[in-house]
Amino acid sequence: MNDPSRKGLDAVVLNPLDELATALRHLKAGEVARYRLGDQVCELAMTTDVALCHKFAVRPITSGEPVRKYGEVIGAATSDIAAGAHAHVHNIKSLRARAD
Amino acid sequence: MAIGQLKNFQGYLRPDGQVGIRNALLVLSATGLTGPTGRRIAAALPGAVSASMPYDGGLLGEDREAQIRTLIGLCINPNIGAVLLIGGNPPKVEHLAEQISKSGKPLVAITLDECEHDALTLTDRGLRAGAQLAMEISRYRRQPCPLSSLFLGLECGRSDPSSGLVSNPLLGLMADRVVADGGRAVFGETTEWLGAEHLLAKRGVDDAVQKAILDAVLDHERRAIAAGLDLTGENPGPTNIAGGLSTIEEKSMGNIAKSGSQPIQSVLAYAQVPEHAGLHAMKAATYAPESITGFSASGANLILFTTGQGNSFVNAISPTIKVSANPDTLKRLHQQIDFNCHDVFTGDESLEQAAVRFLDLILDVASGSKTWGEVLGEGEEVVSRFGASL
Repeated sequence: MNDPSRKGLDAVVLNPLDELATALRHLKAGEVARYRLGDQVCELAMTTDVALCHKFAVRPITSGEPVRKYGEVIGAATSDIAAGAHAHVHNIKSLRARAD
Repeated sequence: MAIGQLKNFQGYLRPDGQVGIRNALLVLSATGLTGPTGRRIAAALPGAVSASMPYDGGLLGEDREAQIRTLIGLCINPNIGAVLLIGGNPPKVEHLAEQISKSGKPLVAITLDECEHDALTLTDRGLRAGAQLAMEISRYRRQPCPLSSLFLGLECGRSDPSSGLVSNPLLGLMADRVVADGGRAVFGETTEWLGAEHLLAKRGVDDAVQKAILDAVLDHERRAIAAGLDLTGENPGPTNIAGGLSTIEEKSMGNIAKSGSQPIQSVLAYAQVPEHAGLHAMKAATYAPESITGFSASGANLILFTTGQGNSFVNAISPTIKVSANPDTLKRLHQQIDFNCHDVFTGDESLEQAAVRFLDLILDVASGSKTWGEVLGEGEEVVSRFGASL
């Protein structure tokens, strides 16, 4: 997570299990974001704008699927999320402290 | 991991063996009745710090205990050289004074009863007594103290994902270093253990501590549900969400990185003083003013406070070092953020390299260099409430 090999990259995936990447700069729709996954540098075309520190899906996510960051489940998708699309409160919901 | 070599700083050794990194006169008002008088006295004595317990009569149960624990804890915090305690009536104030005096630090207690309930008489007597105490503590001198004399309070506020990626793990390294040297550290914000409690619980030193961690989280989750609260929008709050945090689980994973990797020795009640060295978890509110006062009252002499989007709040008694990795925030708030770890965010510096720089700043501040919050006089103490008063 503190790997200097992050240098020159546009996003970070904290754990190989993660569906979500965190943007290290403001990313525009249509731009190609570079991030590291294990030894590989991956490239993914952004399908929406993603602001600095916000997250995007690194693979297509189906509605209802749990989503991970840090290798831990941080919530579930409330709609289908395309690879390269902004993933946030509009399409992710917490699984905790819910009365329903 | 070794960050630097054997490290010392210049601190104030107190009669009870604790080490202060500041040497302030504390004007503490034990009741809301004397709050304004306490602030007036402190304002007239340069360098004095004031704190007021706004509630008094009618406090019940947990509130009553937490109020007294906080009041005594703030007074015996080693950053305080002497205490001017003011309050309403002699029996309560005398009892508190007796507890505080066990620390061996100079103390004068004056009550409204003795001043015929005239705030101006209390101001006059308090100011004269306070001036005497300030003169007395001005003779104290700093001396070399080991890193193990630090007691870190670990806080985050107005977080965004840069906190969880960089700033909080940096605090984790500092907590690990201070604890490995024999010092103390405390973290709280129990609601922000939700979704990460399994990772924290694993680090409890025994079954009882592991259970206490899980129970604390369940209690906070139940209370949120009982209140009919949808945590999203509340915690993470609007600033967190604007910054990119989506769920409490995500925020918690970032939050607990502040606690580092050392075993968790105990789960403390709000403002409770830990019985031994090491890392401790405090079951407490997430709201920074309450949370940090809980740390300060438990004996923390230095607060490390990370922020993603910026947060101007600092503690009055324990210097508060503000840390951020968010480039936009660092540009905007260069007279608020004391430590910049943006280069870790971009990969231009490793977390370990930043930790070496950070430890140097910590030792500087512990030796007397001011934080932005101290220069700007932002400090405040806010005690938690748990229920209604009678």
